[in-house]
Order: sequence, then structure tokens, then C-alpha cells
Amino acid sequence: MSVQEEYDRMIEMEDNIEFDKYTLKDFDQIGKKDVRRLDGTEKASGRAEYTMDVQLPGMLYLKFMTSPYPHAEIKSMDTSRAETLPGVRGILRYDDPDLPEVADLGGHGPTAMAPLPKVAHFEGEPVGLAVAADTEDIADEALRLVKVEWEERPFLLDVEEALKSDAPLAHPEDFPENNLEVEHLEAHGDMEKGFEEADRVLEFKATRRLHTYVSPERPCGVVRWNGDYPEFWLKHQRPHENKRAISSWFEHIPMNQIEMHMLYQGATFGGWTQFYWNQGPMYCASVLAKRTGHSVKYIFDRRGDFYGGSMDEGNYYFKVGFNNDGRILAVEAKGHFSNPQWEGFGPGNHFEDNTRIPNLHAPRKVIKVNKGPNTAVRCEQLPNTMSFTLVMDRVAAELGMDPIDVAIINDGAKGHDMDWLNERKVEAGFTPRDSLKECLEKGKTAIDWDNKWHPPGANKLSNGKMHGVTFSWTHEWDDSCGSGEIAMRVERNDGTVSILGMRCDNGVNAETGYCQIAADELGMRLEDIFYRPHTDTGFFPMCPDSSTNTGVNGWAVRHCARLLKAKILEAATSPRAVTQRGIYPPHFPDIKPEDLDIKDSVIFVKTDPAQKLSVAELVGPSAEAGPLSFHELYGAERHPFSAPLFAHAYQAQIGCYKGFRPKFCRQVHFMEVEVDTETGEIEVSNVVNVNDVGKVINPDSCAGQQYGGTYMGAGRALFEEVVHDPVTGVMLNGNLLDYKIATIEDCGPIDTHLVETQQGYGPYGATGIGEDIATVIPAMLAPAVYNAIGVWIYEFPITPDRVLKALGKI
Amino acid sequence: MKEQLHKYLCPYCSTKFEAFEDLKDHALAAHTGEPTPLPEGMIRLTLNGDEYQIQVQPEWTLNYLIHDKLGLTSPKMFCDRGACGSCTVIMNGRPILSCMTLAIECDGNTIETAEGIADSGHPLVETYVKHHCMQCGYCTPGFITTAKALLDKNPNPNEEEIREALGGNLCRCGTYPQHPKAIMEAAELLGESEGGK
Repeated sequence: MSVQEEYDRMIEMEDNIEFDKYTLKDFDQIGKKDVRRLDGTEKASGRAEYTMDVQLPGMLYLKFMTSPYPHAEIKSMDTSRAETLPGVRGILRYDDPDLPEVADLGGHGPTAMAPLPKVAHFEGEPVGLAVAADTEDIADEALRLVKVEWEERPFLLDVEEALKSDAPLAHPEDFPENNLEVEHLEAHGDMEKGFEEADRVLEFKATRRLHTYVSPERPCGVVRWNGDYPEFWLKHQRPHENKRAISSWFEHIPMNQIEMHMLYQGATFGGWTQFYWNQGPMYCASVLAKRTGHSVKYIFDRRGDFYGGSMDEGNYYFKVGFNNDGRILAVEAKGHFSNPQWEGFGPGNHFEDNTRIPNLHAPRKVIKVNKGPNTAVRCEQLPNTMSFTLVMDRVAAELGMDPIDVAIINDGAKGHDMDWLNERKVEAGFTPRDSLKECLEKGKTAIDWDNKWHPPGANKLSNGKMHGVTFSWTHEWDDSCGSGEIAMRVERNDGTVSILGMRCDNGVNAETGYCQIAADELGMRLEDIFYRPHTDTGFFPMCPDSSTNTGVNGWAVRHCARLLKAKILEAATSPRAVTQRGIYPPHFPDIKPEDLDIKDSVIFVKTDPAQKLSVAELVGPSAEAGPLSFHELYGAERHPFSAPLFAHAYQAQIGCYKGFRPKFCRQVHFMEVEVDTETGEIEVSNVVNVNDVGKVINPDSCAGQQYGGTYMGAGRALFEEVVHDPVTGVMLNGNLLDYKIATIEDCGPIDTHLVETQQGYGPYGATGIGEDIATVIPAMLAPAVYNAIGVWIYEFPITPDRVLKALGKI
Repeated sequence: MKEQLHKYLCPYCSTKFEAFEDLKDHALAAHTGEPTPLPEGMIRLTLNGDEYQIQVQPEWTLNYLIHDKLGLTSPKMFCDRGACGSCTVIMNGRPILSCMTLAIECDGNTIETAEGIADSGHPLVETYVKHHCMQCGYCTPGFITTAKALLDKNPNPNEEEIREALGGNLCRCGTYPQHPKAIMEAAELLGESEGGK
């Protein structure tokens, strides 16, 4: 392949909606187990540096005032005492002339938000005032010295209350008419006909209480001005978005004058639309850093991280029509969601993506209340997985059927059966395989389903607890949208390859995966490839945002490696340099690039492998020992060399935003619980995950997302709930003593399995896994508990008091 | 109070003197040869085998001292109030929460952090990498110190003992199932090296 041919292929694969036409024949590093992770030693030794760790000489600490009321406006503010407190270096008020009314503070696209608003729409919202001081303590003390006159407004916490015609307005500035931000509909077929034809119809309601990220590293950031040039340390998921937004500040900062650092990220799991994760704090820090001449670090406390949660919070109303054989004819799934950003998500998409159910009506109401904004928290599919699991398992339970049989009988897509879906696979170049069945084969054996599944309330264990077991499924997803830009260069002297591209390294080990792809594509040893994405090199892969890692970046790495390989082979067969002294002949004279290959970082002639040259020898040494030096002294070149070797590639695709794009890979999960009917305590005693990721790049990373997601999902289902006081609107448990996340003891063994049907849109047929498990697992607790005790509990989290209440014991 | 300010206090034994000359005579007579006493707020620590003498403020936590003042990044601030284990260090052989410990109370203590454990060549670091015990990695040093303290006390822990020991360490990424594997493998490696001696 010539460089031009590789480039043409890259363009051809852009906006990919087909199977990878040009997959590799042989995989060596791709799919290999026990590949050493790049970040391992740094993290295990505690030497990995995060934004929270950054300390600069003379650095100031920035803290924000937060609203004590769930809905209030600042009428006046007296900051005089704070201003004179020793150690206070800068104060920024909402009415500061240096603050614009609105600025681009990040988001999916450019936004217009107030960097420091004067109206609070939820208790704890950072508003009105920021203080930069020598220490965090001084900044806190200064905030206590400020006198504020608030005008309290009526507030709302509950979505149903907010929908009432006489309800007060929760966000009158943005929604002056009522609290319904928008209503969306996902629908097909004829609902009336569906219910009429159904043997049975049932209705039920479910509630998901607010839960949140709990990002281990709190929201923070650092800014320093080097003269006119700003320098940032970011705790965020999207460096490219930050740079774009920052560039629009202070009238305009040229993009090439902005320096950014994105150190290891103590996880975020999504977000970036509320104040803590948008760039409002960074804007304020930038103003004060410029004004004071000091570097400024902003930090939110642990409570701050709790404002803003997951967009599945709300009420779900279901009406399902189905036949006695398990075939579902009509699903109505209505969602009333609390404060979701970007108009919410779900709750009907997974019926579209996974089933032949002919009639669907899934409207969602996006409702404003006076709590923090909710957004994608690993992940926006939660409303969909909630609906899908609850409906499918409820139908099976009503019929006394094995839920697996109900899954198989309804498997399909967009109201069509599997034949239709298989036609779509063929159309897109895939070889059809039955992903659900392949997953089920592994999963049923692993859990011993045929022996374990039982009628509800039928298995009392010897420890006195009730045993329950359940199953759920859906498609495997990533959004695989956006643009990923990657570059690679071959280092002089040792011929190792650096991957260049700044992204959020949040621990999913994608970087190691990209090195595995590059190694196989280049024919180089894995240890010769390195990727450290913390520096702004001018290339921005997806990072991971818009639910994408491999789905876009994997392509970009693959394209880039192929371009680089073509360049290496071209360099090996071309004159090394044409200078005023003459022409330096090729390393492999009279041989074409296509006659060469690379293996183990050595270039060789395919028909005569004894003719070889390492990549290190090809590129030769650097600087004074480099290509042309000492020529005059020695009369001949001292070392072989080539021109500098560098390649740049990209992948841009609309992905799931293209409209309906059928998904061919499935995932299945099994969960066992033990329920203590005396205390109401639930123990998740065993879990089996089976994910068809299409093609495995790094099996250990995939497993990490499986057991990791299972723990997060179990915690969400068992404990996680942010509680607000209905009288004052104040959050009551914004800390990790009162808000519980799963510990090592909160889940039993987790058995993880992977299936590879190569039916994903990513390179080699891969699809994503990172969001899936933590999103599917939570809803499974309801059918598992039902199977244990014979009672449905549809209020999440399913805490012991809710179990006892359902059992009529309290 | 004012009166006391004029008195001279012996830095060795806190005896008060009205005149500086008296204090001088007393110090020479009673304390010649004794090591110079530490001024108030000065503490001595052995941190990862190195001796430190440092002036601390009474409100400083041990975490603030180690992380912010001495520049060791491993004790991480996650929950901010003794609920997550990420700031765990080993003090005099016991795992403690550095965010809940005042630095001024640590005079004379011996402290180990993840950096020290790594530098000592302890097999835990390598087995943690091998078994992917980290994802975002923010909580990992707290697990390493907790695990090291467990192995110091119990060289062959079973899975249940490990789960119990790590019960106070939160990991939001959910790496939990990997830790017992890594710790048991480290225990085995330690056992082998002990046997080799």
C-alpha cells in the first residue's frame, strides 16, 4: 500500500456505517491478555499526578460562595470585610466589570452561560462571589465574612408537583411559562391496535431517586498567566472543548497561545454541563489570576461534587400489551425526568434497538425543578436500560415464563424480527451471527441458569435468606461519533514510536489499547510504542466524550499506523536525502515498498528476510551525531538515516447521531441476590456478565469495565440516593458517610465473559463496553428481588426499608 | 498573661526564671550535654526511611503535611472526612487515615506511604499492575498502603480477610475483585523470598 492508497482508504472509512473492509488478517497484540498497562507503576506507587496535586509557587486558592436556598436571587452583597481580611488576594463579584454576562463555558457545542450567576436555582449552587486567597482556609473565612441580602423564591423538588398548573416556576429566567422544558417522543406502530390484540395488558410505575457521580478527584483546575499567554491544568473530559471555549474569553485568545495540561483524571463518568464540571470556575480563576499575577487553583469540596446527578432521576409509567407466548405487542413507556441536560434521553430507545415489538409509544417530559442539573453519568442510557429491563422481566414474570425465552422471542430491531436485522447486517458488510444466542450460551452455563432459575419466592436458603436470580439483556453500545485526530512520530536514535494526541486519561486503559493497535498495524514490538496523552500536541482524539473511545480513536490510530508504515517503507526504498553534496542512496535499493514488511520493529525483504534493517537504524541518530554531520570530516556519512518520520490521521463520524443505526452486538447479564426478609437487607451474591464487544482489543480492560461497572451498578441499585429536605430544599447527604457507594464487600463474585462476533462499527468489528455494564446492572435488582420474595419493588434504590415496606412489615 | 511573657522559660524542663542570667546558669548546670529541645510545633518523623524535622501548625493534618508540604502525592484526598481510605498511610505499622490525624501528634512516629513501599521493591506494586488493580488510579495508593499493612501483620491472608481489611477503601471504578488476587500473589512472592533466605 502506498501512502496515497492508505490515505484514500482512510477517507473511505470515514463516517463508517459498515463492517471494517480492511481488517487485519492476523492479530498479535490486539486481543492479547496480560498486556502491561502503561499507567500501572505510576498509579500503584502513588506517583501519578492529578490536577488536585498541582502546586505552583505563590499559588492562590479560589473558593465560591454557594446558595443556602434552593431558589433565590442576590439583591445586594457587602464584601468589605472579606476584602480586608489578611491573605485575601482577589475577590470577584457577580457585578464585576470584568465578568461578561455570558461566555462559552463548554458543553457539547458553544454555550452562552454566566460565569458567575446572581440567581441560584438550587441549594449549593455556586453564585455571586469567588474569593482567591493564600490558603483554602482564608478563602473560606472570607466567604463567611460576606453579607448577602437574598430574595428567596418558591422552589420545587418533585417532578409531578412541577407539572401542576399552579406550580411556581423553578427556572423563570429560562422557562417563564411553566416547568416543562420540552417533551420528546419515540414511537412507531399503532398503540391502540397493539393493546387490543394483546392477550394481556399490565400497567405499573417505577421511580428512580437521584444519584450522582462521586468522582474521586474533586472538581478543580489551575490557571497561570505567563505574560499574555494562559496556561491551564484541567480536570475535565474534553480538552479540545476547553481550549475552544477558553479561546473565546477575554475578547479572544489565539488558540496557539493557550497551553494546556491534562494530567491523570480521578474519573468523572460523564458530566461537564453543570457548574462544577463546566468552565465557569476556570473563567473566574482566569480573571483573578490575571488580576493578581498569581497562579490560581479552584477546588470544590466533596459536597460540591454532589450537586448534579444522573439523568435517569424521575418517574416511569409503563403500560405493556403482550401475548401468552411472551410476544410483546405494545409498550408505552412515559418518562418524567428531573432536570436532564440536553433535553434528556430515553426511555424507549432500547425497545427500538433490540426488539421486534411492533408498537411503541415512549414520550419523555423534561421537567425543571430546583435541584442540581442532571446529566450523563455513566451513562445517558440509564432511562432506557431501566425501562427495558423492567418491562421485559415483568412480562416474563406475569406469564411465569423464563425471561430468556421472552428475550429470544422479542429479539429484533425497530419493530422487525431477526431476519430483517440479519438483512441489515449483510447490507452493511457484516457476516450475520446471532449475538444474543452466543452470549446466552456462555452466560447460562456460567450462572447455571437451568438449575438456579425458579418461581418467585420459592428458594429459601439454609441461612434463612430468600434466593433470587434474574437475567437481563440489551445491545452493546457506543455512540462512536465525533472526530479523533492522532499523530505518530518515530523517534530518532532508537526508532520507538510516540502516539501524539491530548485526551482525558481517566483510567479505562484505552491508551494501552491504542498502542496494541499501533503495534500490530506497524509490525512493531509493543514495547516500542508509547502513548502519554497529557500534553497538548495539537491533536485531539475523542477523550472519551460522546461515549466514544475505540469507536473513533481506534480507527484514527489504525489509519495513522498504516500511513506511518507506508511512509517507513517508502523511506526505506527512497533516496535518504538529496543535498547539495549529492544523493544518498536508499537502504533497500532497487526494491519497491510493497516488497518490504515490518515485524518486531525490523524492516525486511519479504522474499529474502535476511535483507533487513531495524526501524532504529533507518531513522538513525539525532543532532550532532545525526544524518549529515561529520560528513566533511570523515568523507562519508557515519550513520544510516532517513527523513523524519511522522504521520497524522483522523476519523470523523456522526455515529449514532445519524438517526437509527442498527446495533448488532448484544450483552447479557445474570444476577443472584439473597434477601433477608427480617431486616430487608439485600446481598448481591453473584453476577455474570457476558458482553459481545465485537472484537476484543484488550481483554483485561474489557473485564475491568465489566466487574467495575457491576460494582457501580450494584451500589446504585442498593444504596445510592441523594436526599433533599422537602421543607428547605437543602441537600442532606452530600458526603461519603451519608451517601453510600459500593465497597469491596457489597458484591459477591463477578464472572466476566467476552464474545466476539465482529459485528461492531469500530475497527476490526469492535464496539464499546465502558458505559454498558454500570448502566444495565441497576435495574436488574428489581426482578432479582421479585424472584427472591415474590414482591415487586419499583423504587430505586431498593433499600432495606423499601423491602420491609413492600413486605408489609413496616 | 502579660506577666508570664517577661519570665524566662527553660526550653528543656519549662522551669520559669525571672532573669535571663538565672536561666543561663540553670541551663548550663542542669542540662549541659542534652540534645537541643525542639521548639513548639517542631516534630520529627521517619517518612519512608528518611528523617524529617519540620515545623507544623496545630491544625495541619498529616495528609496536608505529607501531600501539600512534603510533596508526596500518594496520600490522596477523596472523601475529605475519613470515609474512603484513599489517604491511608502506615504509621508505626498500622494503617491510619492521614486526613483524620493531626500532624502535630505524629512526633517521633514512623510513616510509610505508597512511594516508600514502591521504592522498597515490595512485590505488591508489581502484582497490582499485573492484575489491573487501578483504573483512574486515584484511590490506588490507599489500597497499596492498606494491603501492605495487612501483609505485614498477616503474611498469608485469605480472600475473606483481605475483603475485610479493604472494607474501608472506596474505589469508584470498582476494581475491587482484582485486589485479593494481587495481594495473595504478593503474599506468595514474599513467602518465596523469605524461604530463599
